[in-house]
Amino acid sequence: MSFNVLIVDDSGAMRAVIKKIVGLSGFRMDQCLEAGNGREAMALLADHWVDVIISDINMPEVNGLEFLEQLARNETLREIPVIMITTEGSEQMMQEAFARGAKGFVKKPFLPEEIKKILYQVIGVGDDGQYEEDAGSADGLDF
Amino acid sequence: MGSMKKMQALLMDSIFEVFEKMFFVFLEPCTGAMGHDLAVSIRFCGSTNGRIDAYLSESLAAFMAQNMLGLNPEEVTDNTREDCAREAVNMIAGNFLNKLDARQVFNLTLPVCEKKPGRFPQDNDAALCLMFDAEERSLGIRLSGEILER
Repeated sequence: MSFNVLIVDDSGAMRAVIKKIVGLSGFRMDQCLEAGNGREAMALLADHWVDVIISDINMPEVNGLEFLEQLARNETLREIPVIMITTEGSEQMMQEAFARGAKGFVKKPFLPEEIKKILYQVIGVGDDGQYEEDAGSADGLDF
Repeated sequence: MGSMKKMQALLMDSIFEVFEKMFFVFLEPCTGAMGHDLAVSIRFCGSTNGRIDAYLSESLAAFMAQNMLGLNPEEVTDNTREDCAREAVNMIAGNFLNKLDARQVFNLTLPVCEKKPGRFPQDNDAALCLMFDAEERSLGIRLSGEILER
């Protein structure tokens, strides 16, 4: 089984790092879409199905929390699990993100293993052969 | 520990954490006059307000981009350098404020990066200034604003 992933972050460098980590995490990634903010992400989602969204919070135009709200209002898109990867690490911000539908939260700066772990938790696959275990080492990513 | 010393320690921790985890850059605190090529700023507001400025040499920004993205030196563009510098300051601000008080919500502006060659301003009365060296690549961090009156 392969997955389509959408990475939403206004930093191209950060999107590239996250994409690399996801690729090295052992998931069979079919398509990796990228957006610079929530507005661009919603436009992409109008034409593409994704299995998981990884989103920043502090972004121009439509920020991560507003993006979560827009997803929640859409009957189809609300089913897509969203992982927030952000510098906004306060307890209240985390609660707010979860209340708006986020399924996971990773604070920047992060280690590659943290993203790998949360991806497995959120997508719901494990050591059952649904991902390529040998694409990333068990101890850490060759990054 | 005094409030200013505590703030300095927390800010240092955040700077080291961001540079080591995300950019694989190991900084050494240093003193003395220091030049820079890029200036990045971010403001925050919440239970207290303030601003963090970072002053970097282009060589440090390029080194950060190479390490984070696994690029060869010739692949690093101006845009990538500035993007990495902005992201570093964004992470330092978020990490520092979370260490300072994780119960409070702070709103961060989007970081702004300018090409601005000059000398790191060491106006220590109005700001908390920290300087670092990474194999002769320089970094200066300046924390200022109401937050210093806590």
